[in-house]
Amino acid sequence: MIELLVTVFSATFFVTVIRTTTPLLFATLGGLISDLSGALNVALEGMMLIAALTAVIVSVYAPWYVAVLSGVAAGAMLGALMALFHLRFKADIILVGFAVNILATGGTVFALAQATGGDKGTSINLQSKAVPAVNLSFLEAIPLIGPTLKALLSGHSILSWLGVFMVFAVWYFLFRTPYGLWLRGVGEYPAAPEAAGIPVGKVRAWSLVASGALAGIGGAQLAMFNYIGFTRDMTSGRGFIALGAVLLGARHPVGAMLAALLFGIFEGLAVVMPNLFNWIPGEIIQTIPFVVTVLALILFSYRAQRALKTRAQARA
Amino acid sequence: MAPLLEALSIGKTYPGGTVANDGANLSVSAGEVHAVVGENGAGKSTLMKILFGIEQPDRGEIRLDGKPVNFANPREAIDQGIGMVFQHFSLVPSFSVYENVVLGSEPRNGIRFDRNEAIARVRELSEKFRLAVDPLPPVGQLPVGQQQRVEILKALYRDAKILILDEPTAVLAPQEVEELFVAVRALVAQGRTVIFIAHKLPEVLEISDRITVMRGGKTVGSVNARDVTEDSLATMMVGREIALRVDRTKGRGDVACEVKALKLTAESGATIAQDLNLKVHAGEILGLVGVEGNGQAELLEAIAGLRPIADGVVYLNGTSLSPLSVLERREQGLASIPEDRIARGLATGATIAENLIATRLADKRFVRNGLLDLKAMKANALSLIERFSIRSGGPGYAVGTLSGGNMQKVVVARELSEQPKLLLVNQPTRGVDLGATQFIWKSLTDARDGGAAVLLSSADLSELLALSDRLVVFYRGKIVAAFVNSDDLTAETLGTYMLGLSSQDPETMRAALQ
Repeated sequence: MIELLVTVFSATFFVTVIRTTTPLLFATLGGLISDLSGALNVALEGMMLIAALTAVIVSVYAPWYVAVLSGVAAGAMLGALMALFHLRFKADIILVGFAVNILATGGTVFALAQATGGDKGTSINLQSKAVPAVNLSFLEAIPLIGPTLKALLSGHSILSWLGVFMVFAVWYFLFRTPYGLWLRGVGEYPAAPEAAGIPVGKVRAWSLVASGALAGIGGAQLAMFNYIGFTRDMTSGRGFIALGAVLLGARHPVGAMLAALLFGIFEGLAVVMPNLFNWIPGEIIQTIPFVVTVLALILFSYRAQRALKTRAQARA
Repeated sequence: MAPLLEALSIGKTYPGGTVANDGANLSVSAGEVHAVVGENGAGKSTLMKILFGIEQPDRGEIRLDGKPVNFANPREAIDQGIGMVFQHFSLVPSFSVYENVVLGSEPRNGIRFDRNEAIARVRELSEKFRLAVDPLPPVGQLPVGQQQRVEILKALYRDAKILILDEPTAVLAPQEVEELFVAVRALVAQGRTVIFIAHKLPEVLEISDRITVMRGGKTVGSVNARDVTEDSLATMMVGREIALRVDRTKGRGDVACEVKALKLTAESGATIAQDLNLKVHAGEILGLVGVEGNGQAELLEAIAGLRPIADGVVYLNGTSLSPLSVLERREQGLASIPEDRIARGLATGATIAENLIATRLADKRFVRNGLLDLKAMKANALSLIERFSIRSGGPGYAVGTLSGGNMQKVVVARELSEQPKLLLVNQPTRGVDLGATQFIWKSLTDARDGGAAVLLSSADLSELLALSDRLVVFYRGKIVAAFVNSDDLTAETLGTYMLGLSSQDPETMRAALQ
């Protein structure tokens, strides 16, 4: 137990948590945007997976940033595809989302085999690149806290820093710009923006595209930093955890970040625990993030209901 | 003076073949309040939708300031200075008043939404047009009357010169109606023009300068408000004389339904209604008065078994209803005409015949050995269609193809095809034309005379005053007053209790509650 505490309160663990949180954070922000526009994006999982593979394959031939952008583009295009089917052809958004997920599981294995010349499991024989880490070693020069600062802040993916910025950017967009107002209005009561001449369908379509793009960055981070290279089904439920994190984060960007961080911590634990407790089967440890998701959602909805009750009583 | 807005021989046929407008004319002068009246289905709404660009006319011409115009969508109408306030508000509940007002044309500062500017503009408009409303609270927390002001502000913010109000008084209490009229007069005084859709004739006569009457998709005529009376207008609307008068009960029987110390709570735990004590006798109509949302509808739902009871009891002829399911309550002689006929009263996709037996699936006449007896269903439907004069293509037509009034008649026919002991009625004639209203009122009084105890809730005070033998007033989930109906009782008196402005002494109330 002591060993676990020592591990958890180490700078290395902090760095691990940031790493595990980053893909989740992007997916959560993506889920948040489409959820607020009134279109529940259950395809985050598939979007991340396809973006991850796209980024890996492109990175073989192009610099890392082009690879990340191509992952983003892949996610955005899937978002546009969902918008097309849901808004133009009036298909149910949940069904369209699952179609994307199913397409992703099968399609990525097929594309992987094509790209690697037959390997259906990993991209190990592709020379894929990584997203660079941001080196802040100069912080060490600061007296006293320098070394700690360096240990905590240096070595994160450049995308992790982008993630922190995106939380702010999404918040600013949603609550400080007219278009954010439109988006939230469309999600809550579409008849109102419709009557005000706002193109409701267009707003939803762009939210799905943005949602896909964000999930795409998450996928790129996963396959170009957390792991280098693609493994089949490597997203392993992160897209669904992100959906839970949207609700747990009370549909607010900062809440979304905190929720993503919570799940990141437990994923981090699942990474370090097998070394400490080798008597616990690894499979059980790997279920921890998912069990926590379920528990957190139960707790959240219980607390939300109670808050509703106390508020109602306070008013009466 | 040249008219500001003109519609000339407008024709509109909907894809389903319904002829909504066929030679509709309207001529509105600048700075007047122009009422458009007519029965439901007379084509008022369609004509307004055409003026606002929601629908496109098949024939005819619209002229604005003498120039022909053509609106492909509401946006174009708004740009030309036409605004419309619908019966169903289009407001985002969690957004503040000012956010709702500016939504779609927000003041900007760079890419930023300029909140201070928006608040200032809303304050300025609400002062200028005497539409008092605080710009800051979320719209969902405001009473209906204020929400309506927000809608009007929305149109004014977009600089509407002509404001179309679609049945604006339907949702308001009498005092709120007065406030609305003050605002309408302020609008006209400042050079705006108001088109006012309505079917409550006393209000129309009070507020409007000119009145256009529509019937069957055509314009019957335009008159000056001061040249006509309520009766002559009603005759113009319906095309024949009608009497919207009903006889009071001849004598009531014993107490049929008793509500004792009833308490109702919402799912969230908030109290909806408490200390409800009521007695309804066989052969009388008890009117439940109150602004919507004060507990009347919930009381009816609780008695019908559609909502749990937190505390207290409801007896029907001595049997407690609480442990009984909806079906068991119906077996005890309960019938219910719900508020929303489309969501709760009918299955719109099912046929008339199916809807008419939907509450009687245990009846051997219609269901034998678990199979529907189609012949018996058809015969039943034919006789009820005849008895309740439901205008339809036949028993096999889907209920959804009927007009509002005929849909409501299907509900009434099903609930009253057998004499009930307790009849719950909520908004029986909302959105129903005068002819059907007359018929439904007659059906309700027939049920009463047959010995039913009737609980009636309605947003239309004149309906409550016309039908009820006794009335109780709800305010914030409590009964605050009770009256035995008489010709001296007016809507204004009820209104002061509905808004909690006056209170009744307990003795008077107790006497009228028996």
